[in-house]
Amino acid sequence: MSASAEREATREVAVRARGVTKSFPGTLALDDVGLEVAPGEIHALVGSNGSGKSTLIKVLAGVYAADAGELQVGDSTYDLPAFTPALATSCGLHFVHQQPSVFPDLTVADNLAVGRGYDTSWLSRISARKVRARAERILERFHIDARWDDSLRNLRPGTQTMVAIARALQDQEEASGGLLVLDEATAALTPAEFETLAAALRRYSAAGQAILLVSHRLEEIVGLADRATVLRDGRRVATLTREKLNYDALVEHIVGGALDAAVPRQAAPRRLGVPVLEASGLRGGSVRNVSVSVGQGEIVGVMGLAGAGCSTLMRLLFGAQRLEAGTVKVDGQELHLRSPADAIRAGIAFVPEDRAAFALFPELSVLENLAMATPDCGRTGRLRHRRELSKVRTDLTRYQVRAQSPSTPISQLSGGNQQKVVMARWLRRSPRVLLLDEPTQGVDVGARAALWGALRMATETGTGALVASSDAEELAQLCDRVVVISDGEVVRELADTPCSAEQLEHAVYNGAVAR
Amino acid sequence: MSAPTANEVRPVTTTPDDAPEPTRRGGVGGLVEAYALVALTVGLVLLFSLLPSTSETFPTAANLQISLADKAILAVVALAVLVPIVAEVWDFTPGATMGLASVFAAKVVSETDSILLAVAVACAVGIAIGVINGLLVTRAKINSVIATLGMTILISGVVQWVTSGNSIVDGIPTGLTDFGSRNLLGIPVVVFVALVLVLAVYYVLRHTAYGRYLYALGSNRSAGRLVGIPVERLTMSTYMVSGLLAGIAGVLLLARTGAGNPAVGPGYTLPAFAVVFLGAAAITPGRWNVGGLVTAVLFLAALNSGLNLAGASGFVNDLANGTALIVGVGLANLFAHRRGRTLEIK
Repeated sequence: MSASAEREATREVAVRARGVTKSFPGTLALDDVGLEVAPGEIHALVGSNGSGKSTLIKVLAGVYAADAGELQVGDSTYDLPAFTPALATSCGLHFVHQQPSVFPDLTVADNLAVGRGYDTSWLSRISARKVRARAERILERFHIDARWDDSLRNLRPGTQTMVAIARALQDQEEASGGLLVLDEATAALTPAEFETLAAALRRYSAAGQAILLVSHRLEEIVGLADRATVLRDGRRVATLTREKLNYDALVEHIVGGALDAAVPRQAAPRRLGVPVLEASGLRGGSVRNVSVSVGQGEIVGVMGLAGAGCSTLMRLLFGAQRLEAGTVKVDGQELHLRSPADAIRAGIAFVPEDRAAFALFPELSVLENLAMATPDCGRTGRLRHRRELSKVRTDLTRYQVRAQSPSTPISQLSGGNQQKVVMARWLRRSPRVLLLDEPTQGVDVGARAALWGALRMATETGTGALVASSDAEELAQLCDRVVVISDGEVVRELADTPCSAEQLEHAVYNGAVAR
Repeated sequence: MSAPTANEVRPVTTTPDDAPEPTRRGGVGGLVEAYALVALTVGLVLLFSLLPSTSETFPTAANLQISLADKAILAVVALAVLVPIVAEVWDFTPGATMGLASVFAAKVVSETDSILLAVAVACAVGIAIGVINGLLVTRAKINSVIATLGMTILISGVVQWVTSGNSIVDGIPTGLTDFGSRNLLGIPVVVFVALVLVLAVYYVLRHTAYGRYLYALGSNRSAGRLVGIPVERLTMSTYMVSGLLAGIAGVLLLARTGAGNPAVGPGYTLPAFAVVFLGAAAITPGRWNVGGLVTAVLFLAALNSGLNLAGASGFVNDLANGTALIVGVGLANLFAHRRGRTLEIK
């Protein structure tokens, strides 16, 4: 800490952006925003969707031309309206994005070489020896737990992200120049994977690397960042120093209000009705033996380390993956799940983990996406467009979806709003059982509150919900009961509400250790 | 009273994204993009109507009838190409299937003299090819491009085998050829048939849940399965619809030419694809659509008949059609890019 305090005193700066202003037709996305990152500092950039966070990153990357502002990197000063991606790269700004753009089928060595050019010998032949030697040097330098010839696909997501970081930084001889920007690069990581990455980031920063961390996961930031800059509505509302950097303060600045408004907490334990979902002895994929039941109006959490089988359990219950053994009952009726269509008919709904891959129809409109599970046809089979439109408008208001119009392509909405549409798609069927897999991954605090609100609203009408999440805080606040899964089996059930996030984390790690 | 959350503070109508990009579809730019091809077609018609070398012959009822009737068959084959593409599976067989259907229909009608039976056989042949395509793609899990390309070659072989390479010209009843050349209210009957099919496909794609499901599959197959869409069954159905349309096109071809010609069919496939691609850049740009398909057909009809009447050699048509496709889709891409998004034809 003393080292960073010293730096603070000398006002040494790796990167300083000043007076950044950027407007889009009808919106002032960035209004005179400033940002300073010191060498060896891990600086967090936070804000809800629409705060201007992504726009600022894109300005720094040279993707958007700012209306005004300047950028100082080391001793050079650049005019931001004339900044380009090429300039960004040459002055040492390195970006690693949410989906690290690695090539899953290529080896680590290939991934490292692709962006920068292969070492070649005579006749442009790729020199396998040199490429390999370089890869091994880099893996060692960045302490990455992988071999040069591993396929990226076979590495854990956290390690993949570290390879992406190493690729971004590989040409810097000393790890002190420029700025490493992690743009939601941690969103897909489990807590354990994040810890590995965090340890690596601390090492890099100790070596003098300036790091800008953009993340929705505030707990991560609290544990990792030296300072945090909060944006709201295109303005910098605060830069919190280490001492003032805590969860409640961040939320307060992000939302512009007190904590309770943003994160509705569970009031009293509710009385629970008869079971709507009873599953016993489930086996299939990574699930070896899981029994779970959900009562009417109950929210049951499912938690486990990566690969424990939480997502598989969801897919089994929805008929999306073959059930090798076990029974699933909804309202006492046993189901024969051969496909998702069977599950849907029985009143089960599923919001899958990876929105883009499994839930969205990116080219289709908000309306088409929202109505996909409930097309409104007359007896002739003709879609009743006008009625659909008015119902969709009602839903957009009810679930607080921010969209230009129902005919906007869904790909133009922010992640949080896309997720609200996916949620609304299912809730309008009034499902008996709602399966949610990582429902708030990569969405901001405000959208998360809206999604939770929607879930609560559904449970009040008797829907039972099963929520898989790697966010202990979320489950602790949301659930009546949490089932902990390890290695495909239920290892604990925490029924005493409210159980704390710490209790949950402990249960998850202990469950894993006990095996 | 607690403070409002981030969501309540903002009205529903603000730009939705963290990165508000200028991607509005409406406005003048959007209109230009959507109707450029329509305007171009009108321009061509005006040009050839005024050009001294074609002003005598181009704007006449006879020319209109001939060029429309010529392109009516192309339009039906293009519909057969369109339906599977909406669900993002490819079908290269429609041209060949049309040829096969017309040859079979010619054989049947020359031997039995029953037009009805010939039509039934042509449709059955088309649907049968569709079922085979569908099985190859949904059951054998062969990539749709490869499966239907293989089928195209195979069908051409069957046609040569059945006809020994000779056209079937004897015994085609005049009832059938009359149907191919007669006008109703001054418009060729085949154009009416094509129009009915165009409207039917438009209705199904745009106004039924089935059509919406096809677009959904085209956009994201995995997500389609997870909202309960019967993916395999719909995929199979698109091939059957495609086959049926190709079969009907086969009857139209036979009626129009009065012969079961073994060499004609496959030549329609690439132009049909050109029409579908060009059409995807018009009316609702970036989306496979029937309106764009019709516009593209009319555009080609005007272009080709104008060039023919102006005395251009046959190869000029090919040069013009190829250029039109590349320039048309290229320009649409450029427009889209200028306005902050890419035209992803899906």
